[in-house]
Amino acid sequence: MDRYNTLTTFKKYFHPYALVGIVPAIFFLIFYFYPLSGIFIKSFLSEEFANNQHSNFGFLKQIFSSTRTLKIVWFTFWQAGVSTLLTLLCALPCAFVFSHYAFKGKKLIKTLSSIPFVLPAIVVATAFQACFGETDSPLILILLAHVFYNFSVMLRIITGFWSSLQGSIKEAAMALGANPLQVFLHVTLPLLKPAILAASTLVFIFCFSSFGIILILGGPYYSTIETEIYRQAAHIFNLPLASFLSLIQIVFTFFLMWIYTLFTKKAAKFVPDAEKANLKKPDRLLDKIVITATIIFIVSLCVLPLLALVVKSLTYNGEVSLIFYWALFENQTDSIFYIPPFHAIKFSLFFAGAALIIALVTGLCAALFIRFCDTNIDNKLTSFFDPIFMLPLSTSAVTLGFGIIITLDKPPLNLRTSIFLIPIAHALVGFPFVLRSILPALRSIPGNISDAASVLGASPWKIFKNIDFPLISKALVAGAIFAFTISLGEFGATIFTARPETPTIPIAIYRFLGQPGAINYGQAMAISTILMLVTAIGFVCIENFRPDNSEGF
Amino acid sequence: MEKELILENINKKYDDGSLILKNINLKLSGNIRLSILGPSGSGKTTLLRLIAGLESPDSGNIIFDDQLMNNYPAHKRNFGMMFQDFALFPHLNVFNNIAFGLKMKKMKKAQINSRVNEMLLMTDLDGFAHRSINELSGGEQQRVALARTLAPNPGLLMLDEPLSSLDKVLRKHLLLEITKIISKLNIITIFVTHDHEEAFAAGDIVIIMKNGSIEQQGTPEQLIQTPKNQWVKDFLGA
Repeated sequence: MDRYNTLTTFKKYFHPYALVGIVPAIFFLIFYFYPLSGIFIKSFLSEEFANNQHSNFGFLKQIFSSTRTLKIVWFTFWQAGVSTLLTLLCALPCAFVFSHYAFKGKKLIKTLSSIPFVLPAIVVATAFQACFGETDSPLILILLAHVFYNFSVMLRIITGFWSSLQGSIKEAAMALGANPLQVFLHVTLPLLKPAILAASTLVFIFCFSSFGIILILGGPYYSTIETEIYRQAAHIFNLPLASFLSLIQIVFTFFLMWIYTLFTKKAAKFVPDAEKANLKKPDRLLDKIVITATIIFIVSLCVLPLLALVVKSLTYNGEVSLIFYWALFENQTDSIFYIPPFHAIKFSLFFAGAALIIALVTGLCAALFIRFCDTNIDNKLTSFFDPIFMLPLSTSAVTLGFGIIITLDKPPLNLRTSIFLIPIAHALVGFPFVLRSILPALRSIPGNISDAASVLGASPWKIFKNIDFPLISKALVAGAIFAFTISLGEFGATIFTARPETPTIPIAIYRFLGQPGAINYGQAMAISTILMLVTAIGFVCIENFRPDNSEGF
Repeated sequence: MEKELILENINKKYDDGSLILKNINLKLSGNIRLSILGPSGSGKTTLLRLIAGLESPDSGNIIFDDQLMNNYPAHKRNFGMMFQDFALFPHLNVFNNIAFGLKMKKMKKAQINSRVNEMLLMTDLDGFAHRSINELSGGEQQRVALARTLAPNPGLLMLDEPLSSLDKVLRKHLLLEITKIISKLNIITIFVTHDHEEAFAAGDIVIIMKNGSIEQQGTPEQLIQTPKNQWVKDFLGA
């Protein structure tokens, strides 16, 4: 009897689906936690720190007495706050229209509005430079670019909640004598508040850790913690200060992420599980004007900058020309450091392919493992591992890249010259998206299906091959496209990990923008246009590969 | 004076032009209890929503207490409506859910307190005032919904499948409770259901609806003893 029990326990915990959890665990330990611990160690145990005999906090004092660092921290919060507020102001009226009206082309407008969010920051920055050219007020460009970037996140989250409030709950308030204003103040607004706060926190996090946009549009005048980490590490080689800033970044993003989870939980509690909303048809003239205005607003916000990018990339000396595109394939300088841009495309594709494989394998293993914990062991285990696997999402790419280069450049693990350092970093950034694509599909498979199969004599491997795999194949494709397009556009971690001789597309764009001359500028536009198209196509494919009812990202 | 609800030639179309309600005529008065019975899609909920003012008819008149109600918005009718999914406000506790309609009437705090407590007692919910809605069972939620609907002293009460989201055992028990409470009210009550046992228990008069029109109208006994046609007979027999 005892032996039997031990055997079943053994079989339970050493089920193949439990064992695959080791793959993402090792991946995270080596490529996420180890680099992050490197940042902690560099911040507190560095020589500079130790040399400060008087007190361990002398170094901190030095940092906080520097007005430059303080200014940077202040500006980081300020720009994130203002960007979030502006995004909210733009998204709230549009969310009202989207959650109340049914109109032709709604789905198209919604997809269109989501494209900016999936574009690489470097493309967005280039597009805004194309749209507004050299300007005296880069600050306005930064804020506008953030609104452009995050508008759809805000719109999607708030619209999702607002539509769910359209059903009987609003009617119950009306039947109880509440006029439209009272319904809004006493029912809609309190129920919508957690969703608005959650969306705002998320956008704040994105703006707080925005890198490419600030680096390119802000130029030398505006720095945030993110860009300062890069500057301190890559230009001034002040690694302790860079580490310390990374630490601030980590602490704040984790704190904000925690607040975001609280708001999301509260918001979820408020979603009535009632039937779907009955949307209004725009019958009255006023309805039609409101909807037309919304469409014009969204199209001009989300499409004009991208259109400007395409137009600039096709215009040379005032005429339509493909010269910038042809130039991508020529080696114009004889400098040995010059890498022709089409090589960057080649490297990018290789890295993206490798990142796709790494992220998909680790992501699938993690999803299988979490589903196994859900059903066979304990939900507590799921609520422990699930947030851990989402951590890369709340760690800025710059911090990640920085952590990787300061830890993986020496024994026990020296990958400094390895061609796989970039795909590993990219896979880490893409991992949460892959997991979030696969896990819902896996969870939607009823448990009794695999029970039925195993009673019919299928081994765990056969169950995976013949049941789970075919049922999640669409989600796997969506996850793969996520991993691939994220890798193609990744900038923050790549700028640390890329070797000079193997640049990626975003690095090539950054280099072009930094060099004078119309041809360089035009090439940046051309290659950005290509990257934009590839990412947009990838996004449209993902949208088609996932269930219709999924809101958020 | 007795209040009267009169529906005259009510018609209502779907967006695609097909009729949901065809030429509905109805006259109710006093404290009569009406049950509207019919299969899903027969238009019974739509009829209720027209009376409540949540939708408006394409043609015909809704008259209550000698006043034409057609252009009165829902919040000015002072009708009570209990929803199928209860539609309780998840951000408010039991007390504030029940007090909602009273607050909309700008009642004084002391008055609100005493009225809510009265409702809590009536629905056997004393001690639940500060509970969160999410902590309640289905039966408790149903009672909160009823208390909330009755608190503002509605001139007319509508119940839209109030038992359909509960399980079978609970349903029987709560049907008794609900009918006991609404029998004591001195207003017109309209009870919508697809279950003939519920309809007969909750209504002095029952109308049977089919494809948007009234198929037969009468007391429960009349309907059982002299069904108008085979369809009614089958429907009641089911």
